[in-house]
Amino acid sequence: MSRTDDKDLKGNFKPQDAPHYDDVLQCMRCGFCLPTCPTYALTGRERSSPRGRVALARAVAEQKLEFTQAVKEESFFCLDCRACTTACPSGVRAGEVMEICRSQSHAFYPLGTAGKAFREFILQKMLPSPEKLETSMLPTRLYQRLGIQWLVRHSKVLKLGPGWMEKAEGMLPELDKPLRTQLPERIEAKGKKRGKVGFFLGCVMTLMYPGVSRQTVRVLVHQGFEVITPRNTKCCGAPHLSEGDRQTARELALFNLDLFLDQDVDYIVTDCAGCGASLKEYEELLEGQAEHAKLAKFRSKIRDITEFLAEVGLRTEGLKPVNKTVTYHEPCHLCHAQGVSAQPRKLLKQIPGVELREMAEASWCCGSAATWGLKYSEESQKVLDRKLGNVRATGAEALVTANPGCHLQLAWGVREAGMPQQVLHLMELLGEATPD
Amino acid sequence: MISTTAIEHLKEKLGAQNVLYEKEDLLVLGYDSTPGVHHLPEVVVYPTSTEQVLAAMEIAQREGLPIVPRGSGTGLSGGSVPVQGGMVICLTRMNRILEIDEENLTATVEAGVVTLDLFNAVAAKGLFYPPDPGSQKISTLGGNVMENAGGLRGLKYGVTRDYVMALKCVLPDGSILTTGGKSVKDVAGYNFKDLLCGSEGTLGIITEITVKLIPPPKDKRTFLAYFNDMRTAGEAVSKIIAAKIIPSTMEIMDKATINCVEDYVKIGLPRQMAALLLIEVDGHPAMVAEEAEAVEKILREVNAAEVHVAKTAEEAASLAAARRTALSALARVSPTTLLEDATVPRSRLADTFDEIERLTEKYQLKVGTFGHAGDGNLHPTVLCDERNADEMQRAHAFYNELYEKVLAWGGTVSGEHGIGLAKKEYLARQIGPGGVAVMKRIKQSFDPKGLLNPGKIFDEGDPCSKPHVEEGFRVSH
Ligand SMILES: Cc1cc2nc3c(=O)[nH]c(=O)nc-3n(C[C@H](O)[C@H](O)[C@H](O)COP(=O)(O)OP(=O)(O)OC[C@H]3O[C@@H](n4cnc5c(N)ncnc54)[C@H](O)[C@@H]3O)c2cc1C
Ligand code: SF4
Ligand code: SF4
Repeated sequence: MSRTDDKDLKGNFKPQDAPHYDDVLQCMRCGFCLPTCPTYALTGRERSSPRGRVALARAVAEQKLEFTQAVKEESFFCLDCRACTTACPSGVRAGEVMEICRSQSHAFYPLGTAGKAFREFILQKMLPSPEKLETSMLPTRLYQRLGIQWLVRHSKVLKLGPGWMEKAEGMLPELDKPLRTQLPERIEAKGKKRGKVGFFLGCVMTLMYPGVSRQTVRVLVHQGFEVITPRNTKCCGAPHLSEGDRQTARELALFNLDLFLDQDVDYIVTDCAGCGASLKEYEELLEGQAEHAKLAKFRSKIRDITEFLAEVGLRTEGLKPVNKTVTYHEPCHLCHAQGVSAQPRKLLKQIPGVELREMAEASWCCGSAATWGLKYSEESQKVLDRKLGNVRATGAEALVTANPGCHLQLAWGVREAGMPQQVLHLMELLGEATPD
Repeated sequence: MISTTAIEHLKEKLGAQNVLYEKEDLLVLGYDSTPGVHHLPEVVVYPTSTEQVLAAMEIAQREGLPIVPRGSGTGLSGGSVPVQGGMVICLTRMNRILEIDEENLTATVEAGVVTLDLFNAVAAKGLFYPPDPGSQKISTLGGNVMENAGGLRGLKYGVTRDYVMALKCVLPDGSILTTGGKSVKDVAGYNFKDLLCGSEGTLGIITEITVKLIPPPKDKRTFLAYFNDMRTAGEAVSKIIAAKIIPSTMEIMDKATINCVEDYVKIGLPRQMAALLLIEVDGHPAMVAEEAEAVEKILREVNAAEVHVAKTAEEAASLAAARRTALSALARVSPTTLLEDATVPRSRLADTFDEIERLTEKYQLKVGTFGHAGDGNLHPTVLCDERNADEMQRAHAFYNELYEKVLAWGGTVSGEHGIGLAKKEYLARQIGPGGVAVMKRIKQSFDPKGLLNPGKIFDEGDPCSKPHVEEGFRVSH
């Protein structure tokens, strides 16, 4: 056998932030992940499947392949939806391997000055700073200020199609004022107090869906929790990981880690599935960069809002009936990345008046996946169409989800398709049931 | 090396999107689920019709390229690994269900249809396609026919071969052979159909398959029985069979397997137990009641530690689904899972468990055993690390010795996974030089130039047909 005994073979990867060799070796190529992978469903091409992607990473580690353009392409074509993680009995996490490969690709294929400037602008200037993000938020100009217009003009960088800008703007919800500056840092619990939670307010939530997070906080308070929302919370780092900027992600993570551990709260709750997934993975991201005990403590406190309420038990007395038929789309970063799947359904069933109608393939990605939907707009449309077909078949009045990325994509898709469904975050629905 | 003209030709005939030759594509189509075997093809094609299969084969012939058919690559004996390079013909884009004939109780499908998709499509019409390999969510019917796949229901309902009624097959000389049909009885001439079933892609490429369907059982009952030792579980199986009860499913898992599966599915399997049997009886409600009672009685007699009955259909289904993940779940424990397919007469089950235990001890290995106990078909799986040469050697010695016993007891070296690359030597031991020679002559008559899936089932004295192990190759930017 031509293999070495090296436990953590890096081979043709750059040594920093290379996938762990053991992680890729773990794949026994059974293919259980194939039917769950949206990009494999789109292309029917083995290399665009989890099994294929892990095999590519393995070949790079074993020096059978350079880190080629195609490996880079696959790492960005992967939706990072983690459906393969749920499906894999051997515990292989192909999505994460690809996420790591994204950062590798920057090392191998440095962006031109234009691309670099853009990346630095978005990832290192705007996202880490809540103030900057908010001042850029003169509503309709959000995307332009975020650099999207700029990006489109320099579309060589990410090979974006021309329909992209239109789609991005079409997706914008009506914007309210950002929530971050309006929310008191501390809100007292109502009724019999059950505990103290830190609320992790995500960037997209405060900017695009302040109304949703407002409901989340209302619900928490009504459920008997004192809510602490630290003003200077920074971005969770998910966009950075998704774009392969692990360094900035780590800096943000270290900041948030200390910020929240200083609050002396029982739990840290978020209503953004993407943030939740990212926070829960600080432990891996910061391995060796922060005290293990601290990381473990932080990890043990993180809950998605639906997970949290199901765990502590929803106080249902006094809830107002919300007479609606709803169907539930599972955000990838909730069901696959965090394994939270039964809890939101349990809550839905506890809201008086709500009738839950399961859709087929509820945990199939909606095609949004951070900027994937914008970069691969044609493919994204196909993934979305499959989702909308399943939604349509339920005939439900409302489409409920629990993540801003899905929310944007679904609301846009439903509108474009002329479907009647109202798209709601689960907390909006629960908010509706919660008396003042 | 395949010429650029040939590539152009292929694109013309099959469409550019169905012809892949970038290194990254070749790399990921050079394996199946068998550990340690990997080799790059030169080109991969995805035909979408029988005519395209034929066209691709003609071009391969002209270029002198070996041809390797492939389904979903879930094979466990290396059958679709292109050990001599050449052209991989991947059938997964031929995935249409052509007809479900409710009058004749048959279904006709293209070879790339996924097993579970057929199962679901016929179930929607109130019919039943029983063969269900653990890989049913992924494997193709072509692959199933070629490996004569078994499954969790094999005990009562038989294996893929028992359901194949007709095949359409492209032969290496460019002729198209159709064999069988919708007639239930057919004894016209040699039985090509049976010959092709289990031929592991060495005789022809299957493009269409007609299978038999049956009415689904009206009722079923699922048991989960726990045991304090493997031997007792083996005895329970033999006793149930001896009592002339044929459950539809009788699956076994040992402690290592139980724990790995539980790590994945988290449905409360008993981690401390030495063995578990998943038993399902089905059929007419009256018979199910009678058989269920008899099964329970036997389980009590042999002193099963606990016996549980699944309360709902969902619970039963989730147990079967959990069992299907056994092999992949075992892969959690170690980087490499070497599995075998030893099959013994059922009266020898308990002895086989003893033997596995003895050899595990002797060779100092970690072994997880699961399998279709009712068929006598076991998958002792060595949990090892392919980077550890010494451990790999012990693993092979383990199987070597195990197979000696299995053969002595009248067993077989493969119950369902086929011979492929992995078991050629064992096969020769089982059927002897005479048997191998006849097989070679049959191969000759189908494929005189030896272009189709070379190096599989038996050695052709060619060093290239030895399993190739991931030889290095480099690609630059
Ligand atoms: C987790 C797991 C569980 C499994 N459980 C079972 C089980 O319970 N029972 C069982 O029997 N097997 C089982 N298998 C083995 C495997 O799934 C079967 O052998 C399956 O039939 C292979 O189908 P495939 O489409 O993946 O074929 P491949 O692996 O791609 O090919 C298998 C063989 O068939 C040939 N072939 C494929 N398609 C064609 C065609 N159209 N024409 C000609 N030749 C063709 C190939 O050349 C190769 O020799 C399991 C495998 C895994 C990974
Ligand atoms: S990633 Fe997991 S499910 Fe997919 S082939 Fe590998 S082991 Fe199987
Ligand atoms: S994360 Fe999603 S898109 Fe990526 S390989 Fe896994 S299933 Fe496919």
